[in-house]
Amino acid sequence: MISKNLFFKLIKQDFKKRIWCPILLFIVFFLFLEIPMMMHMESIAKYPKSYSYGINIYIRDYFFGVEASVMAAAVCGAAFLCALSGYAYMHARTQVDAYHSLPVSRTQLFWSKYLSGILQFLFPFLIHVIICAGIAADKNAFSVETVPFMVSYIELELIIFVLAYSVSVIAAGLTGNIIISILGTGTLFCYSTILSAFKLEMSSRFLKTYVIYGNRIDVSIIDEKIWSFSPLSMIIKLFSYPGRASAEVAEELFKYDDSYVGVLIAAAIVYTLAAYIVYLKRPSEAGGKTIAFQSLEPVIKTLIVIPAAFFGGMFFGDTTVESDRWFLFGLIFSFVLLCILLEIIFRLDFRGILMHKRQFLFNAACVMLIYMIFRNDVLGYDTYVPADDQLQSCAVSIEQLMPLSRDIYLENKGRMYIGSDEYRMVNMEIQGNPSVMELARKAAKEKLSYRSFEYYEGIEKSDLYIETREREKTYRQVSFGYKLLNGEKVYRRYVIDIADADTLRLLADIFDDYDYKLGSTPMFNSGWNVTFEAVQCTGNFKSGLIELTPEIQSKIIEAYQSEYTKLTLDTVINTIPSGTIEFLKSSDEQDGYVVYKSYDIYTGKMYVYPQFTKTLALLKEYGFDMEGKLTAEDVESISVTKHYDESQYADSGYSAYSALGVWVDNSKTDAVEYTDKKQIQQILDSIICDAFSWSISYYTDFFDSQYTIEINAEDSKDAIPFFHRFVNGKKPDFIQ
Amino acid sequence: MITAMHVKKQFDKVLAVDDVTVTIKEQEVFGLIGTNGAGKSTFLRMVSGILKPDSGEILVDEQSVYENSKAKAEIFYISDEQYFLPNATPKDMARFYKDYYPKFDMARFDEMLARFQLKARRKVNTFSKGMKKQLSVLLGVCANTKYMLCDETFDGLDPVMRQAVKSIFAGELAERDFTPIIASHNLRELEDICDCVGILHQGGVLMQKDLEEMKLNIHNIQCVFQNPDDERAAFELLDIVKADRRGSLTTITARGAEEEIMLKLNSFTPVFAEILPLTLEEIFISETEVVGYDIKKLIF
Repeated sequence: MISKNLFFKLIKQDFKKRIWCPILLFIVFFLFLEIPMMMHMESIAKYPKSYSYGINIYIRDYFFGVEASVMAAAVCGAAFLCALSGYAYMHARTQVDAYHSLPVSRTQLFWSKYLSGILQFLFPFLIHVIICAGIAADKNAFSVETVPFMVSYIELELIIFVLAYSVSVIAAGLTGNIIISILGTGTLFCYSTILSAFKLEMSSRFLKTYVIYGNRIDVSIIDEKIWSFSPLSMIIKLFSYPGRASAEVAEELFKYDDSYVGVLIAAAIVYTLAAYIVYLKRPSEAGGKTIAFQSLEPVIKTLIVIPAAFFGGMFFGDTTVESDRWFLFGLIFSFVLLCILLEIIFRLDFRGILMHKRQFLFNAACVMLIYMIFRNDVLGYDTYVPADDQLQSCAVSIEQLMPLSRDIYLENKGRMYIGSDEYRMVNMEIQGNPSVMELARKAAKEKLSYRSFEYYEGIEKSDLYIETREREKTYRQVSFGYKLLNGEKVYRRYVIDIADADTLRLLADIFDDYDYKLGSTPMFNSGWNVTFEAVQCTGNFKSGLIELTPEIQSKIIEAYQSEYTKLTLDTVINTIPSGTIEFLKSSDEQDGYVVYKSYDIYTGKMYVYPQFTKTLALLKEYGFDMEGKLTAEDVESISVTKHYDESQYADSGYSAYSALGVWVDNSKTDAVEYTDKKQIQQILDSIICDAFSWSISYYTDFFDSQYTIEINAEDSKDAIPFFHRFVNGKKPDFIQ
Repeated sequence: MITAMHVKKQFDKVLAVDDVTVTIKEQEVFGLIGTNGAGKSTFLRMVSGILKPDSGEILVDEQSVYENSKAKAEIFYISDEQYFLPNATPKDMARFYKDYYPKFDMARFDEMLARFQLKARRKVNTFSKGMKKQLSVLLGVCANTKYMLCDETFDGLDPVMRQAVKSIFAGELAERDFTPIIASHNLRELEDICDCVGILHQGGVLMQKDLEEMKLNIHNIQCVFQNPDDERAAFELLDIVKADRRGSLTTITARGAEEEIMLKLNSFTPVFAEILPLTLEEIFISETEVVGYDIKKLIF
């Protein structure tokens, strides 16, 4: 007679049988919960200025917040332990005979073991969480407000547990011994992550225009186009930061992606049902075999062999100079080795390693087909440009041209980096500018790319190398994000040649576009409300801080924005900037017992041109004259250092570095100090500050990099930027 | 009653049980005999609902047994290598089975443990192989199920214990509705306990016979006749399976009822004629020879 009573008896029985499991987890969770929590709390109490948050915020937003990701790793480990210890009985004939001969349905047996496994995790976990809450309460860091965070934390870890647990149960059900079960668990747990990595690596290697941007991503391994069906992908996605942050998304920076929790729950249910079905269908006689369902063997082999062979190819390709040949060697070698290995694993015997010749040939054909598809871009990835009537809007990022954005900063939470490209891909929407698609089509058609050379001694003197490097000097990268009418987003990164007048014209059209400017930095995003403490100003001959009030900040940003939106590419290329401004956030840092104020650069360098009259006037009004000059009277001496490295050799040095992984230092310098006031004045009239000149050098050719100028003006009341360069063509004749 | 109809089971390329049709009646001890790999364990595992037949059907009291808790509630299966919970004592095992078999008799189990001198609190993993088998039988008997499937259970028992177990079975058979099915590769083990025997060979059933029926229908007779003509004439009237002569003493194995055989022999006024008991082995040799098998090569 089967009853509910029996069901609970079964759970109790299983729990007792595996009592070591919750005991072990109890110890592990202590190391993952109480210990780091107490250490962190102690550190906050001891060095409060080193933290931008107090203990209560730590408990609420960190311990029961983002640090759930660390605990998730322990939870996954616990899930594997509970699952494999509970269902490994299926691998032993004696145990299968004992359990399956009992008058209890497999359904009840499955669910009783399933629930027992969950309870083995849940009991020690809950006890520890409650203890942690008690410790926090003792420090007045736990309040009613914290309870929902704690509950969410428990729920989230439980969902992650069920997800990982079910996958492990499936692996135990599909296989016939514990070692294969562990391997199977690992494979099922991270298969879609492996596929993502496979696609990422293959695309990066073979496709010239490949670039990916996601929604909540700081881990590029998760390719949005690949269905993230494996728990590892899901967990990474759940805890990933909102990489292309808008103001709204940034607010959720330190929260989990709530919408994705639903996906996790759905996946946990699906995996649980799948585990149940596998359990029901699994033949009792499968214990001891490698795989319980013989028909799955070829499918599993193919799914493992193909990506693994390519990873082998990548390993050989990446560790050698002659990448392509070694990639192919690694691919074939790994493929054959893996096929043999899998046959041995599946047979548990060395004999019969070439038993499945047809399958071997099929897999080999698949591998070669995939290789050819990527190698020759059979699917036309690099040449794809959407038709105008498919396009809703377009985002463009002209790389290295005024990369304004830097970090997202949230009160009490800290900061994180956002690249300007990724910000633009999400926030920029250019419509009705034909130059955008014209440039895209031109770039896709021209298929320009940087050529890599296999290094050999004397390469720097070869005509082909010199000619190629010379030609590539005017190559630049531009990223495109196509937002299609069907909602899909397609990204490409092209190489363009700015020596081509037509290309430069199109690029100028894009840069001059108001929408381009507006979407190019979070500073101009209307929803972006960040209060800065200061603005760091750097002119040609001085630098300084302007303390900000919200009013001053808004005035400067407003003035800068209106002038920046009118800035043309022609001005950028042909005008020497007056200086840069950088908005700063401050924080109190603590070094031992010493507390000091530290400024963090928030925005990156924002160039101020002579045409930005309003901005320059405002800065002057608030105490910084960006266009102020130094006279010879202010300067004691100027040191001019000549670098003898010609650019050609510098290039060859770089290529030698990249080819061999060894830095070839062939620099040679010669310094002269000038104290003559007339000469000093002449030098001062012909130099530009290096602090900002180098970062626009990709699109300008203002300065002569062969000389470094250092101004010695100890009595100057303003700080003088460290290094300067000669403006091209303005080097005084007395300089050798 | 347990009925197996055209049951087949294949493991990869090995056909373990091939088209077996057997009927096991209630209240009789059924012996399943066969060499190693004959398919005895596989058959028992199918009967107990562990394995699902590839084809055919196994009914226990007219119910399909696979995934049928109700049918399985009347079956206790003792594997050739019985599983005991890690670190469990006999008492723990009894509690374990009590959860599944509500009719499990704890008091009787305690009493039988004492009778067999097995300690209730000693860990089973310290038991000898024979002690574990005894414990398995005790657990099975105390589970009070209608059917008890024993796979090579008697093989590890010493003669005294074997006798004790047999007496328990006899007691159970007398007291309640009890049908043990005992698989063994040794015919002699089952000789004095089985009512009915099925012989499995290479996955198939060679034959299934009721022992009493067989014993009633075949006999060993020692006889001495006054002259060879009488002897020849007497033997011609009998269905002789085997004949062996030593001097004037002739030993024959003949089919037919005891009275009928003696009547025919006595009609030739032999000097001496006496019925001798037949061993199970001799019966099977005789029976299987008829169907064309040399049973000695198959079993012994």
